[in-house]
Amino acid sequence: MSDVVVYRKRRGAELFMLLLALAIALGGYFLIHLNTDGELPEGWPLTIGIAVAIVGLAHGVVRWRLPYADPLILPMVVLLNGLGLAMIHRLDLGGETRMYSAELQLTWTAVAIVAFCAVIVLLRDHRVLNAYPYLLFLVGLILLLLPLVPGLGKENNGARIWIEIGPYSFQPAELAKIVLSVAFAAYLVEKKDVLALAGGKLGRIVLPRPRDLGPILVMWLASMAVLVFQKDLGTALLFFGLFVTMLYIATERPGWPIIGATLFTAGAYAAFLVFGHVQARVSGWLDPFSNFDRNYQVIQAQFGFAWGGLFGTGWGLGRPNLTPLAKTDFVSAAIGEELGLVGLTAVVLIYGLIVARGMRAALGARDPFGKLLAAGVSFVFAIQVFAIIGGVTRLLPLTGLTTPFMSQGGSSLVANWMLFGLLMILTHQVRRPALEPAPAGPVASLAEEATIVVKTPAADPAAAPSPSPEPVAKPAASDEATIVTERPDTDEATVVTPAVSPPRDELTESIFRGES
Amino acid sequence: MSELIVLALKLAFLAALWLFILFVANIIRTDLFGRKLSPAELAAAGAVAAGDPVPKLSKRAEKRLPRILKITHGPQAGVELPLGQPILIGRATDCQLLLDDDYVSTRHARITLGPAGYQVEDLGSTNGTFVNNQRISTPTPIGPTDGVRIGRTQMVLEK
Repeated sequence: MSDVVVYRKRRGAELFMLLLALAIALGGYFLIHLNTDGELPEGWPLTIGIAVAIVGLAHGVVRWRLPYADPLILPMVVLLNGLGLAMIHRLDLGGETRMYSAELQLTWTAVAIVAFCAVIVLLRDHRVLNAYPYLLFLVGLILLLLPLVPGLGKENNGARIWIEIGPYSFQPAELAKIVLSVAFAAYLVEKKDVLALAGGKLGRIVLPRPRDLGPILVMWLASMAVLVFQKDLGTALLFFGLFVTMLYIATERPGWPIIGATLFTAGAYAAFLVFGHVQARVSGWLDPFSNFDRNYQVIQAQFGFAWGGLFGTGWGLGRPNLTPLAKTDFVSAAIGEELGLVGLTAVVLIYGLIVARGMRAALGARDPFGKLLAAGVSFVFAIQVFAIIGGVTRLLPLTGLTTPFMSQGGSSLVANWMLFGLLMILTHQVRRPALEPAPAGPVASLAEEATIVVKTPAADPAAAPSPSPEPVAKPAASDEATIVTERPDTDEATVVTPAVSPPRDELTESIFRGES
Repeated sequence: MSELIVLALKLAFLAALWLFILFVANIIRTDLFGRKLSPAELAAAGAVAAGDPVPKLSKRAEKRLPRILKITHGPQAGVELPLGQPILIGRATDCQLLLDDDYVSTRHARITLGPAGYQVEDLGSTNGTFVNNQRISTPTPIGPTDGVRIGRTQMVLEK
C-alpha cells in the first residue's frame, strides 16, 4: 500500500501568524499615541496582556479541539479585529470629547472570542446542524424581519435594521446570517437533485417545477420586505445573494443565478422608482456633489481617501472624525485616510484571502452539507465586504451593512466570530486525515485487468443477441433517471463474452427494477 | 517626534501589513504540499482523529437503536445478524457477513455505529452499495425504514 498524503496540522504556523497579527494591531495602537502625544499610551502593558490573553485563549481552544483546522483564518480575523480596534480607539481620541468606545469594543471582542470558543467546544461536528432545515429557516426569517415589529425595531440613519430591548440595541440580521446559511445548506442538500433535474425546459435552461419554487419565492419576498420596509439594500442583497449562490452551487444550473439576478434587479429597480431613500442612495453613489448636505457623509469619505493618498497620513495624523459614523459604516474610509491606498488594499486583500480559505474548505469538504455550508458562509462574507467597502468607496450605492470584524458594534462582532468558529470546525473536518483509506489491495481496478480480443456477435451468429457486458438500465424511484452499469466483479482477468454473463434470476430482476 | 521618524514608522507599519500578507501566501504555498504518511502512521493519525469527540448517543437514542441486521432478499434471505460490533460485508472469509455473489467485492461495505445511529459505508466496491436505490459515496446513516442493497442481497435493520 502506498503512502498517503495528508494535510499538516500547522498549529505552529498559526501561532506565528497570530503573534505577527497582534504585533501589527498593537503597533497601530502605539503609533497613534506616538504620533499624537509623542509617548506610549498609559497602561500599555495591560493592553498587551489583555490582547495576548484573549488571542491565546482562542489559539489554545483551536489547538485542543481542532488540531487540523485552517492555520490562516484565525490570524487574519485577529488582524482585522485588531486594526478595527485600533482605528476605533483613534477615532475616540480624535473626537471633540474623549470617548471610550474602543474599551467597549475590546470587551465585545473578548465576549466574541468566548462565543467562538464555545461554538468550537460545544458543536464538535457541523453535521448535527443538518437535521433541522425548516426550523432554522423559520428562525432565520423571523430574526431577519424582527426589526419590522412595531415597538421593537428602531430606525437609525434611514435603515430599520436594529431592534432595541431596554438599553441594548442589536442587529438581528447578523445572527440571521448564520442561521440562514445553515438552513439553506441543510435544505439544499436534501432537495438539490429535485431542483436540478425535475421540471420543464425553456430553451437550454432547466426551469424548476412550480412547487419547488416555493422557498426561493419566500426568500425573494423576504428580501424585498427587507428592501422596502427596512430600507436596506445591503441586507436584501446579502440574503438573496446567499440563497441564489447556494442554489447555484448545489444544483450547478446557471438558470438559478439568471432567475435570481433578474428578480433582484427588477425588485431593486421598482424600489428605486417608488422610494425616495433608494433614490437618495443612488444619487449619492452616481453624483454625490449634486446635493452636498444630503450626501455629506459620502463626500467626507471621498475627501478622506483623497487626503490619505497612496501611503496615508499615518496613524492619528488624518482627520477621519470629519466623516459621520466613521466608527461603524465608514471605518474603511478612516483606514483609507490614515493608511492610504496601500493599507486599505492590504485590508481588502486579507478579506479576500479569508474568503479564499473558506472556498478552499468547500472544495475539500467530503460531505455535501459541509461543502455547501463552507461555500455559502464564505460567499455571504464576501458579499458583505463587497457591499460595504464598495459602498464607502462609491463603487456601489451605499448600504447599511457592517464591515465584518472592523466596525464598532457587538452583535456583528459576536455573530461573525461565531460564524468563523463554524468555518474552523468545517476546515478541521476537511483537513484531518480520513479515518480509514479505501482498501487498495484486493479490489482490482479496471486498469489492472488484462485486455483480450473478443469476438463480436456479428462474427458469431450463434451468439445470443444479448448486449454484452450487462448494461442494466435501472429506473430509479426518484425523479431522476439513473443509468447504472453493472459489471461482474472478479479477481481474475475478465473475459467479456456473452457466455460468461452472470446468472440473473427473477430476484435480481426485481431488485434491479427497484421493486423490493 | 521628527517628521522623518513619523514617515519611517508609517512606512514600516505598511510594510509589516504587507509582510503579513506575504507570510499568508507562503503558508498557502507550503500548505499545498502535505505530509506523507505510511499506512501505519496513518493508522496512528487516524487513531488520533478517532479519539476526537464523536457525538455520543444519549441513553434514550441508544434504546431506540435497531438490534438486528436481516437479509430480506437474496440467496441468504432470512439470515439475521446481531448489530453492535462493526459488520464487514463482502466475499472475503474474514467478513462478518459473507456474501457469495459475483456482484459483491472482496471487502464491499461495512456497517458501524456512527454519530447518528448505525451507518453503512462503502469500502470502494466495484458495483456499489445502495441505500434506498441510491448509490452511496459517503458513510450514510441508516434506520429501520431504509433498505440496503449489496449485489443481489437486500437487507434491513430491525429491532
